[in-house]
Amino acid sequence: MEQNARREFFIRLAQGTALAATGGLIWSALLQQQAKAMPNALRPPGALDEDDFQALCIKCGLCVRDCPYDTLRLSTAGDSVPIGTPYFLPREIPCYMCPDIPCKVACPTGALTPELTDINGARMGLAVIDIENCLSWQGLRCEICHRECPLTDTAITVEHNPRKISKHALFVPIVHSDACTGCGICEKACPTDEAAIRVVAHELVQGKIGDHYRLGWKVDTTITPDFKPYEKSGPLPVAPDASGGLDYLNEGVP
Amino acid sequence: MEITRREFLKSSIAATTAATVGMPLIQGAQAASEDFEADWQWDKGVCRFCGTGCGIMVATKKGRIVATKGDPDAPVNRGLNCIKGYFNGKIQYGKDRLTQPLMRMTDGKFDKKGKFTPVSWEQAFDEMERQFRKAYAEKGPAGVAVFGSGQYTIQEGYASAKLMKAGFRSNNIDPNARHCMASAVVGFIQTFGIDEPAGNYDDIEHTDTVVSWGANMAECHPILWSRVADRRLSSDDVKIVNLSTYANETSNIADTEILFKPGTDLAIWNYIAREIIKRDAVNHDFVDKHCVFATGPYDIGYGMRNTDKYAFDAEKDIMAKELEVTLTAEEAIAQRRKTGEKVKQNNTKKPVKHWLITYEDFKEALDPYTLDFVSQLAKGDPDESLDDFRAKLKLLADLYIDKGRKVVSFWTMGFNQHYRGSWINEQAYMVHLLLGKQSMPGNGAFSLTGQPSACGTAREVGTFAHRLPADMVVMNPKHRARSEQIWKLPPRTINPKVGSHITKIMRDLEDGQVKFAWVQVNNPFQATANANHWLKAAREMDNFIVVSDPYPTISAKVSDLILPSAMIFEKWGGYGNAERRTQMWREQVPPPGQARSDVWQAMEFAKRFRLKDVWGEQMVPGLEAEGFESGKLPDVLDKAREMGYSPDDTLYDVLFATPENRKFKWPDKVAKGHDNHTVKAGALDWFPEKALYQEYVQFGRGHEHDLADFDVYYRDDVRGLKWPVVDGKETEWRFNEKYDPYVKKGSGFEFYGKALKELPTGDLDKPTSKEKTSLAGKAKIFFRPYAAPPEQPDDNYDLWMCTGRVLEHWHTGTMTRRVPELHRAVPTALFYMHPKDAEDRGLKRKDVAMVESRRGKVQAVVETQGRDDPPRGYTFIAFFDEGVLVNKLVPDITCPMSKETDFKKCAVKVRKA
Repeated sequence: MEQNARREFFIRLAQGTALAATGGLIWSALLQQQAKAMPNALRPPGALDEDDFQALCIKCGLCVRDCPYDTLRLSTAGDSVPIGTPYFLPREIPCYMCPDIPCKVACPTGALTPELTDINGARMGLAVIDIENCLSWQGLRCEICHRECPLTDTAITVEHNPRKISKHALFVPIVHSDACTGCGICEKACPTDEAAIRVVAHELVQGKIGDHYRLGWKVDTTITPDFKPYEKSGPLPVAPDASGGLDYLNEGVP
Repeated sequence: MEITRREFLKSSIAATTAATVGMPLIQGAQAASEDFEADWQWDKGVCRFCGTGCGIMVATKKGRIVATKGDPDAPVNRGLNCIKGYFNGKIQYGKDRLTQPLMRMTDGKFDKKGKFTPVSWEQAFDEMERQFRKAYAEKGPAGVAVFGSGQYTIQEGYASAKLMKAGFRSNNIDPNARHCMASAVVGFIQTFGIDEPAGNYDDIEHTDTVVSWGANMAECHPILWSRVADRRLSSDDVKIVNLSTYANETSNIADTEILFKPGTDLAIWNYIAREIIKRDAVNHDFVDKHCVFATGPYDIGYGMRNTDKYAFDAEKDIMAKELEVTLTAEEAIAQRRKTGEKVKQNNTKKPVKHWLITYEDFKEALDPYTLDFVSQLAKGDPDESLDDFRAKLKLLADLYIDKGRKVVSFWTMGFNQHYRGSWINEQAYMVHLLLGKQSMPGNGAFSLTGQPSACGTAREVGTFAHRLPADMVVMNPKHRARSEQIWKLPPRTINPKVGSHITKIMRDLEDGQVKFAWVQVNNPFQATANANHWLKAAREMDNFIVVSDPYPTISAKVSDLILPSAMIFEKWGGYGNAERRTQMWREQVPPPGQARSDVWQAMEFAKRFRLKDVWGEQMVPGLEAEGFESGKLPDVLDKAREMGYSPDDTLYDVLFATPENRKFKWPDKVAKGHDNHTVKAGALDWFPEKALYQEYVQFGRGHEHDLADFDVYYRDDVRGLKWPVVDGKETEWRFNEKYDPYVKKGSGFEFYGKALKELPTGDLDKPTSKEKTSLAGKAKIFFRPYAAPPEQPDDNYDLWMCTGRVLEHWHTGTMTRRVPELHRAVPTALFYMHPKDAEDRGLKRKDVAMVESRRGKVQAVVETQGRDDPPRGYTFIAFFDEGVLVNKLVPDITCPMSKETDFKKCAVKVRKA
């Protein structure tokens, strides 16, 4: 009860800041901060894409209120997150992945989508490992992240590789984006001074293989037995940029 | 390829749900595209780029390549690709793809000084025919030429070679593969009497020791190198040595890196051979049974012009060495002569002649190559101690000699592009044969190739100035007769005089000997050394140059007529890789616009000529051969009539659409529904790619070069086959009884190649008797001395410059520079130099430098750190970048035996631009 009261206070404080700012000189400064805010805040489970989320979130704080672990907080002035929106810092308090997802249930607008019914389907961010400072990658037998991970052996697996400089194998943790929920329990648990595994917004770290390529051993294909050639004489596969080629060709000897 | 928002949304409920729960778009898109891919059609193919020969799978939709993947069933690469291979699906979609013929015109007519203007194929061939006839009338078969390619499909190379050799009776067809592996070929033919490696890539998994000589495999054969790396990681007993003139990526997993001075690799091999003898490690049983010893003349020049009539003033001092050389102190020791001795180069015309010597002579010749002598001569890095370098050389000898160790030596352009490239190839076999470590799993000297079909087409089909298919040569009357028989030509149709090699074709353009040249599947005006001469010759001499290419290249730019070509998966074709593996693919998509296959182009051009135009008497200056009048090819039209030909038959009828070939009907069930635009464009009822291939395989069958039937390579369960394919079985290791059906039973090993197997006997300096001994079944162990590079840094041009490749770009970048991602990664060729050398010249990293040699200058961006790390005194630059035409700098010095250019040794000076 007392805890809830404290949280209410902070929520009101955050909302109050936003309100107070409307009348003050710092309004323009806040606007700048809003504009500069990085799209990399870790949002509660079920949050829509950042643009859609910001459009729908009414900064009511109900998700924060209903989070049983105090994980969620509302951003205040000075945070690098748009003011009044919910986020969390896993090194302080990670998301403990409540099966009933109370934050989502509390959300009145669908900014945290009601379609998220299984917390394991949440994608709050992606854990990434600094392999230079990860003790496991150096060969120490740590792998705390792997053991602490709520989806261990799915979201974090351990690979065994030879360690060239001794007789011992390396036990290296590997994060898999298709299962990692971004809860941050690994980041919280990481025993190094600064966490060597951290949860980061997907768009900050995740690459993408070209649409023109498939990994040979992952995508199964068979030779098409009855190939249908392209019959249409319609538009060329490539729009010829003959003039560009011509300019180059006619510009003289190199 | 882009998935539109709409398609994305409708693709599947699962994907939509995933997206709404905050799953990153990447995963959503992946789920969507899997559904989207349902109507993709997949087929097997081969990577377009290097000589490794990785298998890929190609997906198409609506006439477009939508994706590729590494083929998990391909034994070469098991589903992997390098970053060039990753972009196989994008190379055909550059914005400036040529889709119609372009000709230099003024006022609607061809004009050498005119501007490129779109024309029809009809107009293009009309002018081409007119220009060809003019050149042919004036200069005969020697006045026309084809710049061929190691990237020709088998059928393209075969069609072009047949058109030139059988049709136009000209041997002036030579591929860019001359720049790439001609020295390897000479090494093979001289040593074994037959071309191409004995082993295969599985040697990597079988060996304990990989020695890479003058190869940056890590970048230039990336997927093979990952096999080597895997082998290295499997056990600490596996050792890797990288010999190079500068530190490169291949050093990264090497246990030992040996940086040597350019050209001293010749001395290092001799040191190893001397050690083998000194340590009594010669495998006498193997050597006595299977080998003989041989040597040849040293005064063979450097493959330059023997006149400086066309030379720039600054290059005359180097060119004078073609006539006479003053021996350095080291050469004097290495060649048992006196320092400062002036040696006339008397054997420039017959550099390949050689004779048998005794084992005692061989030993004596190696005697000067002590560790003391070789380590002082060869140490390349001025900042390395002599003791360290000595220790490395000794370790290298230890690794080779260790009886318990298997050794594979790999090399590429560092050996082949060498002023003594043929010698150094032979030296590799010298060491492997002395040890008996050859032609068995995990043991062997293995020459890697650079291009995807340097082996399969340039060498096996024989698109060289001296070659015919299946290792035959135009100089040999029996070979000509056999070819004339298969090709159904009257006797003495084929020209017995060797044509111009690729660099000589350039020289012929410069001195007006060649008036018509057709560039096919290569970019010689960027890739040939001493380019300033040739660029000028193309534009200022009276000649007509045709370039067939998918893109506007430097060569296209200096040509007179440009023909738009179909690219790899826009036509049917086959390639042969460095392990003798022949692989084929089907046409997957139509070529854009009016682009057409090179086979179609050759056949259409052939329709323009009748037998009476070409098979009459022809002047060939310098032709001297038994059965031929001096300087003349005979009129063979009468004989042709007897054979049932009419003088009015076209070359197309006689060479391509023969009654036998027309029996290969189109459509064919091997196509599985795939199209053939060559058939469509020519309105044919026959299948030219299959017919030409089936005609071609007759040359090799029963002659140690057996290939399987066309259809076999298209079977779903086949991923290429290593020739000779005998009774349906491929050959893993040649010359070894266990694996090779051509080896006599009970012999163990037999080096059965037939070429150059009758030799006179002599001493170290000369043949002493004319009587020839047969060496049937044996390999030759050559003694070849150290000789100094003709161009070396001096006070004025004070740095070595080496050229080569980077992983990201293929050759002259005409395809890979049109892939935006590859261009973004490596937009320009960087000039790698030692930081101290840069500092001494007032240069900082990323400064633009003026790099100048005796032959020209270019500007390039300086790099003092990164992938290549030259010692003081050395520099490296890649040749892919047409913005940095580095071949303007490089001398056209060649190995006199192979005529392959030494692109690795050029003296330059560098200053701030």
